[in-house]
Amino acid sequence: MTDPLLSVRDLHVQFNTDEGTVRAVDGVSFDVARGETVCVVGESGSGKTVACESITKLIPMPPGEIAGGEILFDGEDLTEASEKRLEDIRGGRIAHVFQNPQSALNPVYPVGAQIVEAIRLHRDVSKEAARDRAIDLLDRVGIPEATARIDDYPHEFSGGMKQRVVIAMALAADPDLLIADEPTTALDVTIQAQILRLLRDLQDEFGMSIVFVTHDLGVVAEIADRVVVMYSGKVMETGPVYDVFEQPSHPYTKALLGCLPGQGKSMEPIGGTLPDPKNPPAGCRFHPRCPHATTDCRTGDHPELLDVGTDHEAACVYYGPGYDASVIRGDAVSESTAADGGSEGGTPGDASKSGGDDR
Amino acid sequence: MSMHWYVARRVAWAVIATYLILSITFGLLAVAPGDGQTAFAFKAATQGGDVDEAQETFDEITGRDEPLLTRYKNYMVNMATLNWGWSFTRNQPVLDAIAQAYPYSLMYALPATLISIIAGYAIGLYSATHQYTLTDYFGTFTAFFGISIPNFWFGIMLILVFAVDLGWLPSYYQTGRGVWTVANAKQLILPIIVLSTGAIAGNMRYSRAEALEYVHADFVKTARAKGADDWRVLVRHIFRPALVPLMTILVADILGLLFAGAYITEVVFQIPGLGLLSYKAIIQQDTALVMATTLIPVFIAIIGNLVQDIAYTVLDPRISYGDR
Repeated sequence: MTDPLLSVRDLHVQFNTDEGTVRAVDGVSFDVARGETVCVVGESGSGKTVACESITKLIPMPPGEIAGGEILFDGEDLTEASEKRLEDIRGGRIAHVFQNPQSALNPVYPVGAQIVEAIRLHRDVSKEAARDRAIDLLDRVGIPEATARIDDYPHEFSGGMKQRVVIAMALAADPDLLIADEPTTALDVTIQAQILRLLRDLQDEFGMSIVFVTHDLGVVAEIADRVVVMYSGKVMETGPVYDVFEQPSHPYTKALLGCLPGQGKSMEPIGGTLPDPKNPPAGCRFHPRCPHATTDCRTGDHPELLDVGTDHEAACVYYGPGYDASVIRGDAVSESTAADGGSEGGTPGDASKSGGDDR
Repeated sequence: MSMHWYVARRVAWAVIATYLILSITFGLLAVAPGDGQTAFAFKAATQGGDVDEAQETFDEITGRDEPLLTRYKNYMVNMATLNWGWSFTRNQPVLDAIAQAYPYSLMYALPATLISIIAGYAIGLYSATHQYTLTDYFGTFTAFFGISIPNFWFGIMLILVFAVDLGWLPSYYQTGRGVWTVANAKQLILPIIVLSTGAIAGNMRYSRAEALEYVHADFVKTARAKGADDWRVLVRHIFRPALVPLMTILVADILGLLFAGAYITEVVFQIPGLGLLSYKAIIQQDTALVMATTLIPVFIAIIGNLVQDIAYTVLDPRISYGDR
């Protein structure tokens, strides 16, 4: 494999508050190859947004602080980069799309002016040329009559249309990496599907990599090449999307997939809540909620990521020496066979079906 | 609906409001006893004149012996034609007295207003973008100090320190020292400091609060994600939207210049501006002058509201002028 475009190595991000230090991201590593879509999945509060906003240092600092690790983007360590250098990279090479399109655009400027601003921050072009490009971009993201609408204000657009404008703005300087933080969460389902399709088409056209943050596994199945499952600031499992859905190897991933509706069996919510990020439990972060937790899970450090397949890793003691991994994996079989009324084809579980169907 | 139609309607309302205020003022004056007549008679008596005669003369000058409707009509015509009456304490037309006092007010109020707007907004924006840092706490503390200390006390303290003890600056204002002279500038320093401290503090608190609304706004994060530098983010993406509500205060500040009657500052420093003029007029019961010096701020408030409404629609595209 060639060098990845983005390589996050053992990233630690913390927020120093009066109530204590919040370790929002606690040793996260993942790679993004060129042209690849990586989905970062996890519950609210798992640190996925902080991890992604740390890449270009968009998190407020202070109180935020990158306490360790490195972020290699095209060979350059962004944790060491100057603010001036980061301004060139932000929007120029790494673009962001945020969750709520209703508030992502400045209400006092026309949308065209905001796209032109993004273009002219990174390209030395005239206002007229930038405006023409803005119209092209609006047209490209599916705004009807872009020429007529370029001088309209954000409040004159619907939520889905605003998100298209935000995407057009992100594409302004032809970035190598698009970081999309729950870009469809605030939209209704039909619009969601349109935006996802748009992102996929744009990726083909512009050849950029996408980091897609979401808690919606249906969306993951739709667009991801690879998946990073985060929980309480840690990576629990990472691997190609097909493998992760087919063969969920961490009890947390399995539990997440169990929450997915539309599998022909009842949904199973995960009991309990996320641990306190100021005072996480010893051992595996997930052990208080894990049905398979052993004494080893409750002490020491969080388990290392261990190989469970090709390019597929999980942070669970069951894959270490002295444990029987089939307790985790086999469980999936018995559970799904029970739910399917004992049919033979239960392996490797319903989750994979839902993953497959959504594609 | 077009912008022009909206502005036209707002102007029409402003005219109606002005008319109503003038009518109410007339009504109050008509039922008020004395109306300067006593003071006029007293003045005549002290100069050895006949009191009854003086009262009659006064009624004649002011037209008090005519029927109410005629007086109302005359009053309105006089108001509209800027014939605002005679100041018997100063023996000159009211508007002349105001025109003479106005430059003195402007001399300290214009710099004080500019300083308070620029310094207040700058400190406020800095505090907002550096919330809960030491400099923010310092700015906030200074602001509360500036708001809390009364101007008359602060003015007297400054006089004691800089004029009496140190002898660096004059303790009160003297006319006849020119306008663009060092002597004049020196005697304006203390009034400007007194007037601007409170205003800086106010502007700082308002701009900090408004800017804080936007410092953590999603669109500010979007702007940073686009690659905009801190200055651009601050000016274009935080200050510009915050300017919409700040406009209310800004317009009031700037229009305040038109009637810069800082009573206490002028009385403390003996600056013969509008504030001192109005203060003396009240003390000496010079009704015409009191009326003029109080009606002017009322008119300015009306104009100010009008300007604010128009400024809002220009600054904030979300405000529609169709349904108002």
